[in-house]
Amino acid sequence: MSKIPPIFYALGIPVVVIVILLAVVLPRLAGGGKFADLSAFSVDGYRKDWATMQGNVYRLDCQIDQQLSFVEGKGRILAVKPTDTARGAGRISVFVPLNGGNNFEVGQRYKFKVRVSRDLLVVEELEKF
Amino acid sequence: MKHFFNILFISALTVSGMAQAEPPKATTTTSGDYKSSTVEGGADRLFDVNSDSVDMENGSMQWKGKTFNLGNSRLMRARFERYLQSPPASGDVEKYIKILDKIEKLLAPNAVNQSNYYTCQQEAFNLLFEAAQFEMDANNSLTIASQVKKIWTMRAEFRDLNITKNQLEALRKMQEGVIVNRAQKIEESNDDKGSAPSGQGGVKKTSQGTTELGYRVKDEARTQAEILAKNAEMTALGLKSQVEFQSQMVGFLLQRRYRHCIIASAFYRVLFKGGSQNIKVGAKEVKEFFPVSDFVPTLESLDTLAREAMNDVSLGMKTVDDLQKQGEIYASFERLQETYFLGEYEPVVMTFDPVKKREMLDLWRDLRELQRIGDERDLANVEGYVNKVKGRAKDFPGTSILSKVNNAINASNMSVLSAKQAALSGDTNKAEAALERAGKIWPQNPQIKEFANQVVSRQDKIGQMIPEFDRLVSESKWRDIFNKKLEFALALSSDKARSDKLRQIINRVGELDANIQKASVLASQNNPYLAWDVLVEANKTESDDLVLAKTRSDIAPLVSDYARLIGLAEKFEKEGAEAAALNAWLQAQDINPASLACGEAIKRLARIVAGGSNVRATSEVPVPPLTPATTDEVPVPPAR
Repeated sequence: MSKIPPIFYALGIPVVVIVILLAVVLPRLAGGGKFADLSAFSVDGYRKDWATMQGNVYRLDCQIDQQLSFVEGKGRILAVKPTDTARGAGRISVFVPLNGGNNFEVGQRYKFKVRVSRDLLVVEELEKF
Repeated sequence: MKHFFNILFISALTVSGMAQAEPPKATTTTSGDYKSSTVEGGADRLFDVNSDSVDMENGSMQWKGKTFNLGNSRLMRARFERYLQSPPASGDVEKYIKILDKIEKLLAPNAVNQSNYYTCQQEAFNLLFEAAQFEMDANNSLTIASQVKKIWTMRAEFRDLNITKNQLEALRKMQEGVIVNRAQKIEESNDDKGSAPSGQGGVKKTSQGTTELGYRVKDEARTQAEILAKNAEMTALGLKSQVEFQSQMVGFLLQRRYRHCIIASAFYRVLFKGGSQNIKVGAKEVKEFFPVSDFVPTLESLDTLAREAMNDVSLGMKTVDDLQKQGEIYASFERLQETYFLGEYEPVVMTFDPVKKREMLDLWRDLRELQRIGDERDLANVEGYVNKVKGRAKDFPGTSILSKVNNAINASNMSVLSAKQAALSGDTNKAEAALERAGKIWPQNPQIKEFANQVVSRQDKIGQMIPEFDRLVSESKWRDIFNKKLEFALALSSDKARSDKLRQIINRVGELDANIQKASVLASQNNPYLAWDVLVEANKTESDDLVLAKTRSDIAPLVSDYARLIGLAEKFEKEGAEAAALNAWLQAQDINPASLACGEAIKRLARIVAGGSNVRATSEVPVPPLTPATTDEVPVPPAR
């Protein structure tokens, strides 16, 4: 039986791990992730002229600041802070329809797929990160 | 208050000599009585002296409890003033008094005897005419002389009547003898016829001579009647002469002509016999001087009273002189006044020093003026006249008067104040009563006039203020109403509806001012965002208030970003863009995390948005703000 030299293991395992990590982390670092194909949401643009954004879908990376309201059978209004302040800072409100299973805690970070519905940001999909 | 005025005016009367005398029986000291210490000094031992006082109001004077009527008060005052103004009586007083004394001596009991009975009378009678030549006698001696002459005439008539009566008596006795004689003869004739023999025509009595007898009896009865008539005439004549003479004597006493009373008494004593010495006329009046139940008035009683009065007058005038020398002018004046009315016709009073009288006259006039001021309740001028009187008479008791006057002034002023308060509270009846009270105490109180002017002015003001109030209310100019709140409060006090409205406006503007003040304080403490919250809240109800607008404009530059966001939020909400409004409020809260207004708005809008999100997708798209946030203009929240 051919014997694999130990050096092979010593070098091979870390390389494999690194490759796997790069495969997982890089896409995220590149801003992609689950909604990588969506445009990043511009808070300033939204505030300035939401009418031109009507019907559009964006990716919003944010942190939960506060749950403002919850209506049984409908959903909740959350105040979130965009994590990427390059396109605008400050809190904005988003509507998360009631689709079950999601617990929101203050400080959690999410990627939202949001649709601009009139002046309201409606979360269609989300991903914690 | 009435009681006070009684005191005040009695004091005023006391001051001016217008004393309110108590009734004669008063034993306590009465304010206003001029006690005659000179009288009381010696006479208390002899008489029950209740009080001596001059009562100018009733025109009377009390002496030893007896009231002398001196005429009505006006004449009494005028008489005393005339006395002070008049020059002293002319003539030699001493000589006059000597004549009167001589008359008294000539008629004295020790001087008159059987040998000089007529000469003394005649000599005294002649001296009466000498005395009458003096001015101070006022011809009263002639009155006595007339009275004496009348008695002498009556006495002659009496003698004639007596002679006639004696003659009639002699005639009656003669007639009586004739009657007896005739009756005897008739009886004898009848006896003779009865003893004659029966054969000579029978026994038959005769009535011859009876007719003549009847006539004789009638003559005698007529003479008897004439005698009785003469007796009655003599008695009446004597009584008449007594009554007339006694009337004159008592008249002299009551007129305070004491010397003439004494002389008349002396004549009476000489002219009438012992059985006629009791007083028949004026006995009641004389008895009043002697409070003894079984007292019998006599000539000596009159003499005593007259001499006592003369002594009092003499002592009174000495006191007047002494007090004047000691500088006690007011006390001297009081003594002169009472002495004058007691012995107006006494030579010592009539010849009082004219210089001193002039001084008393000046004091009297000032006192009269002070009394007039008191009568008119002219309290403001009392002090001036009190000081004027005190300038003349240092012993004048002005302090107590001024004290009472000051009390009266204060009471009147307090009543005016009470009337003002009552008027302001709308209690007209109470105001009227208080004003009437103030007027009674001090009619010329300047505060009453001032109050009256204020009332008139207030009525005018009410006429102007009510329409102005209504106009400002209709124009919602609360601040203008608030700035004139006192004037409106006074003018509208009797109008309940408008008063209530005014109260609401004052509270409203007061609350607004408190908020403005609060905002100013917050701004000064470097917290302009909270200040702005307060102003925004106030602006919701008082958007037209100029003071609020000014304060907002002062603070707005400090919070332009915050104000802009709030304005934007309100605008979005108004347009139905609640989510956009919610975002604007969130943004504003980021600037001012402590803002309650932001918190409440966020909570409210979040609920709306969460509840209506499914409908939103189908609604019309609102117009977003076109202007960028770079403008400096501060949007003002819309008024609600």
